[in-house]
Amino acid sequence: MKEKVLVAMSGGVDSSVTLLKIIEMGYEAIGITMKLWEYHDVGGNNLQENNCCAVSSINKAKLVCERMGVPHYTIDFTESFKKNVVNNFVDEYIDGRTPNPCVRCNSFIKWDTFIEQAEILGAKYIATGHYARIDKTNGNYHIKEGKDEKKDQSYVLWGIPKETLSKTILPLGDLTKEQVRQIARNNNLETADEPESMEICFIADNNYKRFIKEYAAEKTENIKNGQTLNEQGQKIGENEGYINYTIGQRKGIGISNEKPLYVKEIDSNSNTITVGEKTSLFKNTCKVSDINWLINEPKFPYDMLCQIRYNGQKSKAIIKKESDNFTVSFSEPQLAITPGQSIVFYSGDILAGGGIIEL
Amino acid sequence: MTTSQLYFDIAATTPIDKDVADLINTINLENFGNPSSIHSFGQKSHNIIERSREKISKILNCRSSEIFFTSGGSESNNIILKGLLSSGDHLITSSYEHPSVLGLSNELGEKGVEITFIQPNQNGLINPQDVKKAFKKNTKLVSIMYVNNELGTINSIDEIALICNKNNISFHTDAVQYVGKEKIDLSSSKIDFLSIGAHKFYGPKGIGALYCKSRERIEPLISGGGQESGLRAGTENTSSIAGMCLALEIAEQNYDKNKETILGLEKYFINALDTTNIHYRINGLNRIPGIFNITFFGVEGHSLLMNLDILGIAISYGSACSSGSANVPLALSEIGMPESEALCSVRISIGKMIKEKDIDKLIFSLSNIISRIQKK
Repeated sequence: MKEKVLVAMSGGVDSSVTLLKIIEMGYEAIGITMKLWEYHDVGGNNLQENNCCAVSSINKAKLVCERMGVPHYTIDFTESFKKNVVNNFVDEYIDGRTPNPCVRCNSFIKWDTFIEQAEILGAKYIATGHYARIDKTNGNYHIKEGKDEKKDQSYVLWGIPKETLSKTILPLGDLTKEQVRQIARNNNLETADEPESMEICFIADNNYKRFIKEYAAEKTENIKNGQTLNEQGQKIGENEGYINYTIGQRKGIGISNEKPLYVKEIDSNSNTITVGEKTSLFKNTCKVSDINWLINEPKFPYDMLCQIRYNGQKSKAIIKKESDNFTVSFSEPQLAITPGQSIVFYSGDILAGGGIIEL
Repeated sequence: MTTSQLYFDIAATTPIDKDVADLINTINLENFGNPSSIHSFGQKSHNIIERSREKISKILNCRSSEIFFTSGGSESNNIILKGLLSSGDHLITSSYEHPSVLGLSNELGEKGVEITFIQPNQNGLINPQDVKKAFKKNTKLVSIMYVNNELGTINSIDEIALICNKNNISFHTDAVQYVGKEKIDLSSSKIDFLSIGAHKFYGPKGIGALYCKSRERIEPLISGGGQESGLRAGTENTSSIAGMCLALEIAEQNYDKNKETILGLEKYFINALDTTNIHYRINGLNRIPGIFNITFFGVEGHSLLMNLDILGIAISYGSACSSGSANVPLALSEIGMPESEALCSVRISIGKMIKEKDIDKLIFSLSNIISRIQKK
């Protein structure tokens, strides 16, 4: 009997081609869409298209599965997603930080859930449409970067449980996005020309300020106008409240200066933002929390490559461990290291692990 | 996709009878005239509809002028609730109605209609005295479902209707899960309004009826060409109306035979289940034959559904929504079932096409799946 594989279907082109590849590899596939949120919880327009979890996307996933002769089920994870991802997203912004909900979803919901569902359905593996590769060397499983440099998504996978790697198949890691689209077109998949989803899935209009204000009205209505400080801590202006800013932001500061000013620090306690010229936003070190290793935990100090934002450049760095505190020192200063964002570690093209950037 | 070879979900919808499908096809091809047209094409269609109305009213034992054709149960329910109630009126309904009543009640509540939701007891039944106790001066309508769709429990509708009638309050029942399964005699009942959907008794989808005894003015949902005495505009669906009529006639001719078959299968199912070591409980009392709500302890309903479906066996869990996900069955929380048990409860509904060997396959598959996934 063929081994069963549970394929995560979002209703986009990547997961559709993943399904196709899994069938080509000789597995028996089952399509699963995780329903992560409801429009009545997160606002926005329920008829907005091209968003994962919109009914139209789930319908597309079903059509693709039917074309492939594969059963499809939708599993409701709205409660867990709300608790683990959406609430955290809002709380982090209220704390003046910049969260990465996709990482959190992969780390705390997606992988564990899919593995659990796979067990329930008697499937041995799960497959997703991430542009990254799973490599097995000497019985050890690693995640490697996707072949398509522009599309590599290993960055968002640093937090998945290490023990799930042996049960995970990532069939798109050797393909480029264009190849994936071509495969979809050649096979007349309903999703072949679905536009890329770049936004945060539960904020359909991509207006996260609107979202936070609606979702956490009680917590945000007290955030009044705040003070804008220079690097010396002197007040140089007023702003609309720290919640409206992220580190590295240039627009909307509203203070004229010879050179453009950027948000350097955000302090939710005093409702202040500190601004400075671009050069002042470069830093050599940061602290890291919530580390997850996808290799055997290395000896410290450990030399590696670090990436501090999605689609960012990798740069050489050393991670040190003192008691339980981790500090990363970069060989070259980094622009706008943003608390709350993910810092991801690579050893060559192997995803070694990652963590959350702290001040 | 794995073809579902065994269908244990007739409470969701039934397959259409071959004779009914053939009749619909023939009428679609041969009697396409607009029933409102004056010429012979129109007259033929018109007469097909009126003959159907006559036959249906005879089966339900009411007057043909009291039967109105709609697109189905949801529309019939909507016509009554939206058409009768306005801000300041009081509606009494139950807390485990079909979404077309429950969701609509909540909407009406937001528009100023006062609503009392009567909770079913732990056996899944509405106590008629609870309805009586909820009466207020401004109570305009009581709407209680005949048979609960999740549990299959049959409410004492005639008793509730009588209580309402004595108090001069209109009474509506969503009888979608009842009509076609059991005989109904509207002449001896005090029901004022009753909703019917054809696809629950081997008829076509998208067609239903509304029985209206009262001559009270009901605002139509769809206005237009004045069809259905102005209650429901739009060119009538001639073939489906005739199809529904035939399906109801077939049901009527076979009430006893079908009931006997299904009760026999029920017994066979329970006996077979008892030979396994599956730990289960059948929920609800006074059930309509063929609808089982069963708790399989330690086995999540949604997981069981998916696993059975992969094997080609269809059952139901919770109320399906358009995205195909499922929530904890509402009726179960309303009868006070703990969430942990409600999560493990599925609906298995047995139709007239089921054979004993189908039940054998169901039990065999249930047994295998449950022993594999049961939480220790």
